[in-house]
Formats: sequence, structure tokens, C-alpha cells
Amino acid sequence: MRMGDKLVAVSRITRILPRLGRVLIGQGAAAPREPSARGTPRRWAPLGAYVGALAQAVVTTVVAELLFSHVSHVERADIILLYILGVMVVAARCGRGPAIVSAVLSVAAFDLFYIPPYLTFAVSNSRYILTFTVMLIVGLVISALTEQIRVQAQEAQTSELRARSEELRSSLLSSVSHDLRTPLAAVTGAASTLLTQGDALPATTRRDLLQAIYEEATRLGRLVANLLDMTRLESGTLALRREWTPIEEPIGAVLGYLEAQLGARDLRVTIAGGLPLLLLDAVLVEQLLVNLIENAIKYGGGGPIEIRAELVGDDVILEVADHGPGIPSGSEDRIFEKFYRAAQGGASGGVGLGLAICRAVATAHGARIAAGHRPGGGAVFRVTFPRGDAPPPLPDEVAATVPESAT
Amino acid sequence: MNSPSPLILLIEDEPQVRRFLRPTLHAEGYRLVEAETAASGLQQARTRNPDLFLLDLGLPDGDGIDVTRTLRTWTAAPIIVLSARGQEVDKVQALDAGADDYLIKPFGVAELLARLRAALRRAARVSPEPGEPVLRFGDIRLDLARREVHRGDVPVRLTPHEYKLLSALARHAGTVVTYRQLMLEVWGPASVEHTHYLRVFMVQLRQKLEADPTRPRWFMTEAGVGYRLRDE
Repeated sequence: MRMGDKLVAVSRITRILPRLGRVLIGQGAAAPREPSARGTPRRWAPLGAYVGALAQAVVTTVVAELLFSHVSHVERADIILLYILGVMVVAARCGRGPAIVSAVLSVAAFDLFYIPPYLTFAVSNSRYILTFTVMLIVGLVISALTEQIRVQAQEAQTSELRARSEELRSSLLSSVSHDLRTPLAAVTGAASTLLTQGDALPATTRRDLLQAIYEEATRLGRLVANLLDMTRLESGTLALRREWTPIEEPIGAVLGYLEAQLGARDLRVTIAGGLPLLLLDAVLVEQLLVNLIENAIKYGGGGPIEIRAELVGDDVILEVADHGPGIPSGSEDRIFEKFYRAAQGGASGGVGLGLAICRAVATAHGARIAAGHRPGGGAVFRVTFPRGDAPPPLPDEVAATVPESAT
Repeated sequence: MNSPSPLILLIEDEPQVRRFLRPTLHAEGYRLVEAETAASGLQQARTRNPDLFLLDLGLPDGDGIDVTRTLRTWTAAPIIVLSARGQEVDKVQALDAGADDYLIKPFGVAELLARLRAALRRAARVSPEPGEPVLRFGDIRLDLARREVHRGDVPVRLTPHEYKLLSALARHAGTVVTYRQLMLEVWGPASVEHTHYLRVFMVQLRQKLEADPTRPRWFMTEAGVGYRLRDE
């Protein structure tokens, strides 16, 4: 019965088998796609950039006019420099198209206002043709250089992202393949021993081997379930099925699933009376609780495990605390990252997805999760559920009989 | 016991699963018929008239949920659904289509046998006599004739809906009952959507009847599906 319960607890989540492939491939394939879309050079500057080019020509002309009429010793050469500066700014900020527009407008303005005959586009001196050409070339060169730098920056970013996702993928693959192979090796070994030498072995040894097969298969099941859960949560295809739920319900269900693992462990459950109903996807919240409590069992050093739910302000706080060595200082956030493993955790199995799943589930519910230190030693994991909208009303009979306090 | 042992029809296309179920069920004294497809399953069902169905949901030639519906047009024998899909929606659909219970692969043999016994016990209870008037679950005693509930020797006062909920769960003891079924039986069709009533009432029932309401022993939650009153 116990064994059955445990298996069911593990297998509740194997619903997502077909998506296993995606967690393995998704990390590598999906991540670079986004930057490459962004990496495509923009062919057409937005309209605003052209308006900027126009504004630049006007502003430069106004500034030039002020300088020319109010400051002595300002010559046409200085004005040309001013216009070139404007073109450079536009080229650097807005790209090639606006730079050409800016150069043409600057040339036109310069011609209109500073080259006799004034206020016509006629040109009296052929050397100004050179000025025009220079302005245009400066605009083109600067905008080309800027574009090149931008593309290089994007390429660098893309390749950095790709490297990061490659790293993530290889760390996933190595931990997954290690964690899949270890129990598989144990199962294969024990089963083949039983097949070839079963008759010669004493009954206790046979039983040991069978127990090993069962336990390792269960561990495999848990690992696959965790991978699938993570995929389901990350792929965004998961539609939350949230219902108004009293928090004691998932807590009670999970303590039932974990009965065998908890054994005679000192478990202290404190649920405040009169907690509001929360909009929960019960399956996911159960998974979150399973992971937190399994963590407490694993790392709690055999000491008591405390589970607490209470209302603080407008939030329902759910805490799982243990009396173990606690979380290494400085890694309170990192432990929620995928594939992160506390150094001592190697032997316990799992790929470091449990807490990442917790965080994904909390986030999906608009809740926060944080790890901290229990006063007196040990780790505390705290999930803060915002109360949200008022739950729908209950029939009078409930309102009349809901007990004020519960344990 | 003189009557022949129960006949189980296993409709399952995966040979590995049949391979491990065959010796298990024989060892428990059940008689077994196997079918690999929905069509041959339905065929076998008509000719052999089994006492219980173990039905895989993902059959090559049809959906187990449809098979359930077809079976329910003429037989009341318990149907236990085996599913690798495990999506709560599938389970709920199968149960609402008339299945009695479900097991998610991989499942343990102990769990399977417990469900089988519960389903067969319930089937036996329903057919010959109008039902035992007194049901017991641990130290919980439910007297349907007198509408009385005791925990140990202490009488427990339940509100009308708490009592209805308890007796609905007790009628299906050992098997899971979907939210929808419970809402229909306790509050009627007008309130079927208000499943939070159910959850709040379950909290209350547990507080009144469970030794430790934070760790229920009898009123079990099947997340996303419904509730089960444990039966042993």
C-alpha cells in the first residue's frame, strides 16, 4: 500500500511525457532565435529619425545664425564645421538614411543662408561644391561606421547568448545523463543479477536487489517528472487551472503522498484559522510543496520539519522550515536557479530542478518564493501568496459553521 | 467461497504492461481475459461479460473514454482506467463518462490490487442488497438509516450538506468521485460550478472527523479531479 502510494505520488506528474524532447532541445534552439531576429540590421529608419534629421538642420542653422551675427570672427569655415558636426550626430544616432537627408538639408541651408547670392540655391564659387561633397561623405561614412559597430555589438551579444545557452544545455545534458544513467545502471545490474544468479542467491539478497530496482525506478520516475514539470512550466503551454482552494488542502494531500518518506519524522504543522481561500492550481501547488518538503527531509539533518500557513497583512504566507545546516550564505537566490546544486547535494539525486520548479510555480501564481535562515539554525522557504480578489461567497451554512481556529 | 473468482477484462495495447499484470492478477486468484484494441475489447466484453474492466485510455483504434461510454450503455461492472497521460482533464472525463477509478502509469501492484478490491466490493455492495445501513471508516461510523455519525463513541453533529457530502463519498467509498459528481449529488445541478463549496466543506468534515485534519487519513484529495473516501 505504501509503495503504491509513493508510486502514485511520483507518477501523478508523468502526464507530460511527449514534451520531454523539448526540454533537451529547447534550451539550445529557442534561446538564440530571439537575438537573431533582433540582429537583423534595420533597413529603414523610423520616421522619427528623419524628423530628427530635419530638426538638426533647423537647429544647426539657428545656432549658426546666432553665432554668425552675434560673435565676431566667426567665418564660413566655422559654420561648415558646425553643419558637419550636426550631420555626424544624426549619422551616429539615426543611421544612414537620416544622415543623407541631414547632409542634403545642411548643404541646402548652408547654401541658402551663407553662400552669396543669399536665399537662392545658386552657387557663386565652385569650391563650395567641395564643401557639399565633404558633408555628404562625412554623413555616409559616419553612419556606415555606426551601423557596423551596432551590428558587431549585436553579433557579440548573440554569440554570448548562444554560448550561455550552449553551456546551459551541456550542463543539463551532463547532469541529466548522469542522473538518468545512475539509477538505470542500478536497475539493469540488479535485474541481470537476479536473472542469471537468482536461484543461487539467498532470499534476503534477492529481496535487497528487488528493493533496489524498485527504489531506483522510483527515483527515475521522479527525475523524469521534474524534467517534464519544468518543461511544462517553461514552454508557456501550460494553462493554469486555478480554483478557490483552502491552503490546508494541498498541504494535507502532500503530507499523505510523502507519508512513507516522512516516516516517524517530527512534523509540526500550524495552519492559522480563518485563512482566505486562494486561487490555486492544486496540482502545481502540490508539486511545489512536495519539492519543498522533500528538500527539508533530505537536507534537514533528521531534525523536525515545520510547516506553517498564516495571514500577514494581505498575504498568505506558507513556510517550510527545517533544523538542518541551512542554506550556504550567499546562495539564497542561486538555489532557485535551474541545475544549481548545493555542493553537498550530489548524492541525493535529482538535477537541481526541484527549487526551480517551486519558483516557476510560485511565479505562475503571482506569488513570491524566498529562502532564508531559520532563527536557531536551518533553512526556511517562504512562499507569499497575495490574497488577490475576494473569493466568491459561500452558502450561509458554511459561513455559520466555519471554525474560527484550526490546527 | 463457492462462486468463481472474478473475471477481469484487460484492454491494453502495451505488451509490457500486460506482461506484468498477467502474473500479478493470476497470483491474486483473478481470472483474466486480454484484448489489445478497443474493438476486440468491446467484442470480448459482450461475449465474456467480465466482472471488472481494466481499460487503457490510449488504445490504437480508439479512445478509452469512448469505450467507457459504450460499455456503460449495457454494463454496470466497475471500470478502472489505466492512463499514461495522466492529465487531470482525461481522468475527469473518464470518470464522468462512467469509469469508477483510475490509475496513472507507472503504478504499483499494491495500489492496483487495492483499487481492484475496492471496486469489486462496491459492485457487490450495490447489486444484491440495498446497502449496509452502517459503514465504518477507521473510527468513523456512519449509520445511513438513522442519519447518525460517530467518531469513536462520540456523536458528531454535521450540517445537512456536510452529511450529504459524507454519505455521497461513502456510497463511492474507495473510489474517486469527481467534483462535478459530488456537486450534483450534494448541491444539485444549479451549483455545479461552485466547486469551492466542496473544498470548504471538506475542510470542515476533516476537522470534525479526522484525528489530525492537517494529515487526512480518510478524506483524500485527488488534486484537480475530486475526492476519495479511503476504504480500508
